[in-house]
This record gives sequence, structure tokens and C-alpha cells, in this order.
Amino acid sequence: MERRTIKVDLLARVEGEGALRLTVQNNVVRDAELRIFEPPRFFEALLRGRSWTETPDIVARICGICPVAYQMSAVHALESIAGARLEGPLRDLRRLLYCGEWIESHALHVYMLHAPDFLGYQGSIDMARDHADLVRQGLALKKVGNEILEVLGGRAIHPVNVCLGGFYRAPRKRELLPLVEKLKRARDLACATVRWVAGFEFFDLERDYELVALRGPGEYPFNAGRIVSDKGLDIAVEDFPKHFQEEHVAHSNALHAHRRGGGAYLTGPLARYSLNSDQLSPLAKELAKEAGLGPVCKNPFRSIIVRAVELVYACDEALRLIETYQEPDRSAVAVQPRAGVGHAATEAPRGMLYHRYRIDAAGMIQEATIIPPTSQNQPSIEQDLRTFAGGWLDLDDDTLRLRCELAIRNHDPCISCATHFLKLDVVRD
Amino acid sequence: MATAPHKPRLAVFKFSSCDGCQLSLLDCEDELLEVAGAVDIAYFPEATRGDLHGTYDLALVEGSITTTHDAARIHQVRRQSRRLVTIGACATAGGIQALRNFKDVNEFIRVVYARPEYIDTLATSTPISQHIKVDFELRGCPINKKQLLEVINACVAGRQPNTPPHSVCHECKLRGTTCVMVSSGTACLGPVTHAGCGAVCPAYNRGCYGCFGPMETPNTASLSRSLRAFGLSEDALQRLYRTFNPEAKPFRAESERHGA
Amino acid sequence: MQDQSPSIIAQDGLAALIAALQKQGYRVMAPTRHDAAIVYDEIAGINDLPAGWTDQQDGGTYRLLRRDDAALFGYVAAPQSWKRFLHAPLAQLWQLENSGEGTRISDASAPQDRLALLGVRACELQAIAVQDRVLLQGPYTDRQYQARRQGAFIVAVNCGQAGGTCFCVSMHGGPKAKAGYDLALTELLGEEHAFLVEVGSERGADLLAGLPHRPATAVETARAEAIIAHTAASMGRTMPSDDVRELLLGNLEHKQWDDVAERCLTCGNCTLVCPTCFCTTVWDETSLSGEHTERWRRWDSCFTVDFSYLHGGSVRTSAQSRYRQWITHKLANWVDQFGTSGCVGCGRCITWCPVGIDITAEVRAIRESPAAPGVKET
Repeated sequence: MERRTIKVDLLARVEGEGALRLTVQNNVVRDAELRIFEPPRFFEALLRGRSWTETPDIVARICGICPVAYQMSAVHALESIAGARLEGPLRDLRRLLYCGEWIESHALHVYMLHAPDFLGYQGSIDMARDHADLVRQGLALKKVGNEILEVLGGRAIHPVNVCLGGFYRAPRKRELLPLVEKLKRARDLACATVRWVAGFEFFDLERDYELVALRGPGEYPFNAGRIVSDKGLDIAVEDFPKHFQEEHVAHSNALHAHRRGGGAYLTGPLARYSLNSDQLSPLAKELAKEAGLGPVCKNPFRSIIVRAVELVYACDEALRLIETYQEPDRSAVAVQPRAGVGHAATEAPRGMLYHRYRIDAAGMIQEATIIPPTSQNQPSIEQDLRTFAGGWLDLDDDTLRLRCELAIRNHDPCISCATHFLKLDVVRD
Repeated sequence: MATAPHKPRLAVFKFSSCDGCQLSLLDCEDELLEVAGAVDIAYFPEATRGDLHGTYDLALVEGSITTTHDAARIHQVRRQSRRLVTIGACATAGGIQALRNFKDVNEFIRVVYARPEYIDTLATSTPISQHIKVDFELRGCPINKKQLLEVINACVAGRQPNTPPHSVCHECKLRGTTCVMVSSGTACLGPVTHAGCGAVCPAYNRGCYGCFGPMETPNTASLSRSLRAFGLSEDALQRLYRTFNPEAKPFRAESERHGA
Repeated sequence: MQDQSPSIIAQDGLAALIAALQKQGYRVMAPTRHDAAIVYDEIAGINDLPAGWTDQQDGGTYRLLRRDDAALFGYVAAPQSWKRFLHAPLAQLWQLENSGEGTRISDASAPQDRLALLGVRACELQAIAVQDRVLLQGPYTDRQYQARRQGAFIVAVNCGQAGGTCFCVSMHGGPKAKAGYDLALTELLGEEHAFLVEVGSERGADLLAGLPHRPATAVETARAEAIIAHTAASMGRTMPSDDVRELLLGNLEHKQWDDVAERCLTCGNCTLVCPTCFCTTVWDETSLSGEHTERWRRWDSCFTVDFSYLHGGSVRTSAQSRYRQWITHKLANWVDQFGTSGCVGCGRCITWCPVGIDITAEVRAIRESPAAPGVKET
């Protein structure tokens, strides 16, 4: 019995600490494990006994690449307990903040984490030796995303300006205007990015995922929407626990999520795009078409094109939001705590991020549940490996390993995020 | 001054953390390629595939120690590094995950994971300096990317980094920000917190929450008396000192003087 | 130089004054409301002045309150002084390029703009005079300060009220502006909202000549004097100052230093808001390649441990040694160095100390128990 094991002890160009183990027996893929050994930090446990006002600052520290996503899911969930809904300029500012994070995160992934795989480089520093202009382009694009976060959030990593009800300080319009020229240039770079990545060589491989994302009327989703799938799911955010469950497996500190009564599912740019491509800006739609994307995309290798299209959209949307921005009278609406439970889901760059909190009448947190997109995607990522690797077994170990890493990086896993959240149910045996 | 005979080898190591401090290096968009020219970025898994081998002239260590595996690994990192610099609150003071140090971690595990036996974790989250000798600490949650460049620059030039340990108040006053404590009665840890962030929170109408850890000679007892007079409860005061730098001695000690 | 009797201008005259300065190329810096305080910043016109606002100051607290009139200058010392503009918090000194062709140094020190300071109080005029003494009249001229100072046009304002932490009378510095200004205003509220104007220089006279104005009557002049006298009589604090130097230098081991050290945060705020503190620190920044270097300077404070770093270590590490250093320099050694006290009685160090330490109270405590020795600092 010939057994071949492909191992990567520490995955590079993913956020956080993960490893790959692919087991092949008799030329059949027996098992694929994305082993998450990122040390667990127990956020849901440590949030108990903290004030709800501290939540945005604490949950930001779940992830250095997507802190805004955690802040957004948290404040929306807690505000729903207080019965507060943001409209107008404050709602727009939160979308603008998210645009900044999408631009920063997607540019980082496309240029520095994913593109090197397609071009045969160890990383972007290597890539810069032959393609310095391209790497500079990616860095310039990422920088604009960070500049939005700095102006609106105070700083790019762990922004300080997000609070319950809005912001500690609303920006003056004149503070946002210098971003306009930068965003226009970024938008040009984003278009160039779509055209560049569309020319990569892609495996013609698809899987019939159940794609899950937010969807709401009139906008590509950031902070609001119902949870929908391409297999007929259409639920309010509060019903998430009824339709999704988590389990704890031995090889991963990140819990795995499944559809109740169903299997794995996929969230993230492919899902968002496939379920909302009609809501993109005209320019983004045009570029998607030019790049050969149909209204739906289930080829995970082409996710790099989808992220590039979302980069174009985020620049467009940020420009629209700044142009229409009117300074609000107050930087935040008043929120009063009361005992209760609140849920929210928002679209992090990597996919849908679900939060649920229970607080007491004084606003102290009693329970917290945080389900990041990467943990939701883990079973699908592993199934990708099991499925695709079967067609690559003729390759030597090194090449096979690289292919497997690429297959993982397709999904831009954010492992520090994925490693600390709360069970919903007792695990099945 | 003549250039160094060889490009210094840089390595970036991650322990228990959110990755934000490493990301600060990638956020030096204007300077990154210049850094790559001045140092050999020899090991940086976030950015590049590559193997761990040889000795590194400068090791940047992010994250705290929370597992037996990592408690062993850090010694290996020390052996491989000429100069070892811890970056960020997790590495320098335990990070937010060090809140477990004040609770029962087994209960934490049970709350989060259905199969506790699958989890290898220590009861504590400890700063790197509790395990090995550290040559320099760069504070922050996250660190300030300009200060990171300063640390790299200092290493290349053979001098000490210039990262003043005085209070955040200096940065507020240089910016021209009006003190939120004095003008609005807002609780602020600026007077006892290490500078480096540029006093961002008061510029956004909120009090400093101490994410850069204690300044050089913090008088937390005196500040706490004022904050109590502002109306902060004992519980709120304890939580204020117990956030991202719980194992920083002056903050830990002050947090233990308060509580419900 | 007061060879002109006072005039009166109304609000349109003040608006015209601002416009005239701008027309001459000055950026006009004046009090304006920003967030929770009245700060000194650039204004576009008279509407940017904080009409109808006043401040309430005490140890560690500052609150803005509405007045029931429309006074434009009805408040006292701003959180920071004009020092921000004359002795910049952060300034590049020079740049150096070190390429294959050799080294080139370029001086970064000359500021491009001229500033008009509108609303300078008597204590602040005195503080500017103190800084002139330190930075211009010693053996070394501070070129950065000189460049900004020489261009500056100063319109003083006589305080119509005293603040909760003010003690300019004790420091013989106010409340009446006596010298160092181009024009001085005293706000007269009532049926007519007007300003008594005194000329302090030729260019002040020239500017006034172009504004709508008329001579002040004897009644108006007397009103202005009465306002100032009332201010002088209602100071928030007092500190008998003629013997302070001897008092402090004779009590360097007093137990009061231990007492204040327990409260002092060594945060440095007092030195950073003080209009006469002048200490700075200098550092160099080089690019990674070593080809480009910049030398920078910023405000420093004797409250930092690094301030007293000598070969191998700092010599003032305790809070009491650092607090004692500040107050004895400010009130005692300054006299030996510069011939005047370093303190002008503006009260900022009291208001903006987060825990409300009050130098007048500290001095009083020493005065009232002179022979009580304290713990020797280790």
C-alpha cells in the first residue's frame, strides 16, 4: 500500500498559522487537512464581563488585516439590542470605512499573497526584482485603502473612531476631499489590476459550492442585508443559528461550520459576486465582463479576478460616498443598553462575518459568539483540496505542494481570525 | 559612513497575535522596497515562502506565548537571532489574550471549544521577555509603522532606536489637541501611557485607552484618584488598565488595586 | 511707544483690521472655538472669533460656557499659548544629501509666512518678552524663533475678566498690556459694542489710520481703565512673588516635594502649555540607504527621564526631583539666568494639569511651613 503524504508545516502567504496535510493512498486522495495551529485566544470567553462600549476596540484585535469587519459586525449586533439603526451620513461613513478595508485587504491579497503563485515567485519581494512597477502598483493601491482608514478611523490597523451609535468624531468634508484624487488614481490602478490578473493562466476547475453571502436592495453588501445562498436560502440574520452549526475537529483550533441538514458552504468574494453581481457599479460590471467573468463564478482559482473587480467597486463606491457626504449634526446617535440578544452579519473582505451578543441591562456582555468567514470556509477549502488534488497526483511532491498551497490561498484564509470562537452546539461524534 | 559589509538578515516570527504588527511592515508601502534593498528579508511567512535557516541579524517577534509548543519555539528563535526585538503589545505585555491570566483558562476552553482535549494551551499568555532575553521592545497595539522603520534603520546603522518613552500627553500637546480630561471630564490614560501613536484617540474625541502600555514612570495611583472623581466605578477602572497590556507591571499592579 | 491718545473702533473696525492685516500678507491667528475649548488658530474673519463664549478654569478643569452677551474676547488664556507659532513644536532644521557627488546641506529653517497674532493677553506679552530674552538676547540667537518673531504683528487685548487660575498681578505682568504690542484693544460692551484702541508702534499707528475710528472720550477711557482695574482685583489665584526665589532655594529638601511627587504624573503637560518653557530636543533621521538625512527639533520637557541623561544614566529619575527641578527653575534659577521670573501667572499649568496641581498652592505650602525637612531623594 503506497502512501504519500504532502505536508506544508507552515503555510506562507496566508494570514496566521496554518499547515497542510494531504494523505494519498493507492493514488487516491484519502484526506486533506488544513491544520490550524494558530494558538487560540478565546475572545468570546474574555468578552464576558466587559462593557458593550469596549467591544469595538477588543474585537478589532481579532485580526490585524480586517479589524474594521469585526468592529462593524460588533456594533451592528449591539445596536440592534438598543434598537438603534443608523441612517444617512453615519450609515454612509460606515460603508466608506469598509471600502477602505476592502481596498487595503484585497490589494494585499492580490498583489502580495496570491499573484506570486500565478507567476512562479516565492513572494512579492522576489516578484519585485522582475516586476517592480507591478509591486509598486499594488502597494500604491493598498496605501489608498489605508488612507481612508486613517482619515476616517484614526489609524489603519485597529481604528479608534468606531463607537456604538456611530463615531467618536465625524470627519469634516474638507478632511475627506483630499482622498478624491487618490481614489481616482486608485480606481485606475484597480482597473489595470483586473486586466492584469485576467491574463493569468487558470485551471478550468469548478465546484458546485453552496455560496452564501448577504444581499440587500440597491447596494453591493457591506453592513446590511439578508443571508442568502444560491441554493435557495433566504433568511434574516437573526436566524443564522437555526441554519448553520459549528463543530470542533481534532486537527484544527478553528471550528468548522456547516449548513444544518446540509454540508459545507462557501462565503467570500466568489459568493458575494455570484449573488450580487447585478449590484456592482457600471464600471466594475464592465470590467468583470471584459475579464471573462459571467454573472456567477465558481472557479476558485479565478477568485483573484473577482477580488480585483471588487477593488474597482470599492474605489467607485468610496468616491460616491465622499461626493455625497454631508456632515452630520452629531457623530453618533444615542444608544442605551437594555438586556437582550443581538445579531449581525457583515461582509468582511474574506466573507460573511457573524456576531451574536447577549448583554444585561447595564450593557455588560454575558455571551459572545463570533463566526469568521475563514472558519465557515474551512470544510470547503478541504474539499477543494480533496477534489482537485486527485487530478494532480502525477506531479512530483514539490509541485503538488505548490498547487495545494495555491488552492488554499484561493480563499485568502485569515487564520488569526479563524481561531477563537464559540461553539453553538455539542459536537457530533 | 561606509555601508555594512553584508546586508543584515531580517526574520519575522509570529506567536499568539492578530498579525497587525507584522502587517505594519507591509503597510510601509512607500518604503517596503527600500527596506528590501537595505536588508535581506530572509524569513517572513506572511509575505514569502521560504525556509528557516542560519542566523538572523534582526528578528522581529510578534505575539505572546500561550502554548507549550511556542514556549519551546521562542528559545529556538533566540538562538537564531543576533538582535531580537519584540513588536507590539502581545509580545511586550501579553496582549488582550492575557486576560485569561486573571481567570480560569480551563473554563475559557470549555466555553469556546467542544473538545477541550484537542486544545493545547497554557493557562497564561506571557510576554516574550518572561521567556528569553529581549534586546529591544517596540510598543503599540499595533506598533507605529514609522517606529518600525526606525528600529530597522537603527539596526542597519548600528545605533539605538529613537522611540521616546514619555507620556502620550507630549504628543497631544505637540499636535495642538485640547486635553479631553481637562476640557470634557473624559477618562484618559494618556498621562501614564507610552508615546508612539501620535496621540490619535484624543484627536478623535476620546480618551487614550493605553494600547502602547505604561510610560517610563507612570503614576497610575494618582491618575486613578482623578478618574474615580470623574465617576468611574471600581470595575470600570480595573477594566481600563486591563486591556491590551495586562501583563505590563504598572498596569497589572494598578488593575489589581481596583475591582468589583 | 504711546504717543497717541486712545481711539475707538466698532465691530466693523475690527473686521476691517483683520482684513487689512490679511491684505498685507499676514495670516491672522486668533482665538476661535474648536471642540471643547477656545484655541488660537488661523481665522478668516471676525465671525470666527468666539462671540458670546467664556471659559471657566480651575485646577485640572476647563469648561466652555455661554455668556449672556456677545463679547468677542470674554474669556482668558487658551489651552496653549502663542508659543506654538513663535517657537514651533516641531521644526526641521536642515537636510543633507550624501550622494556619489559629495554632500549638500540645505537649511530648512526659514518660514514662509508672516503671522499676525490677534488677542494676545498681557501675561502672554510678558511671556513673549521672556522668550525673547532667552532665545534672542543670549549668546546664541535661535534662528527659528527669530524668523517667526521678527515678522509677527501683535494686537493685544486687555482682559475684561480674570480667570480662575490667573495670577498675573502677583507676577507683575498684567492685566494691562503695557509694552510689546503694535495695537492693544479693550472691549467695551454696552449700548455700543466697541473697542478702545491704544497704539504701541508705528506700524500699529499706520494700520489704525486706515480703519474707521474716532478718538475715545474721557468717559470711554475711564471705563476701559475701570474694567482693567476690576480684572486686577478679581484674580483667581495669588502668589506673592518677590521672595519666591529665596524661599524655594532655601527649601530644597522640604517635605512638600514628597507630597507633590505623590500626585505628580510627570506627564509633562505643565511644561508643554507653559508660555515660557523653551527646552527642545534634536534628533537625526536618515534614510535606509544613508543618502538622505534630516535634522529635526521638537519641544522637550524636564519631566522626561531622558532629559537629565548624562553619560550612563539619568540623574533625575524620581518624580520629586523632576517636579522640584521645574518649579525651582521657573521661579528661582530663571532669575539668575535671565534676570526675570520665568512665570507670568497665566495659570495654564494649573488648569491643564490632569490632577490639578497648583504651583501657587505648592509655594504657599512651603512658605507656611518653612522648616519641615523631607525625605532625601535617593
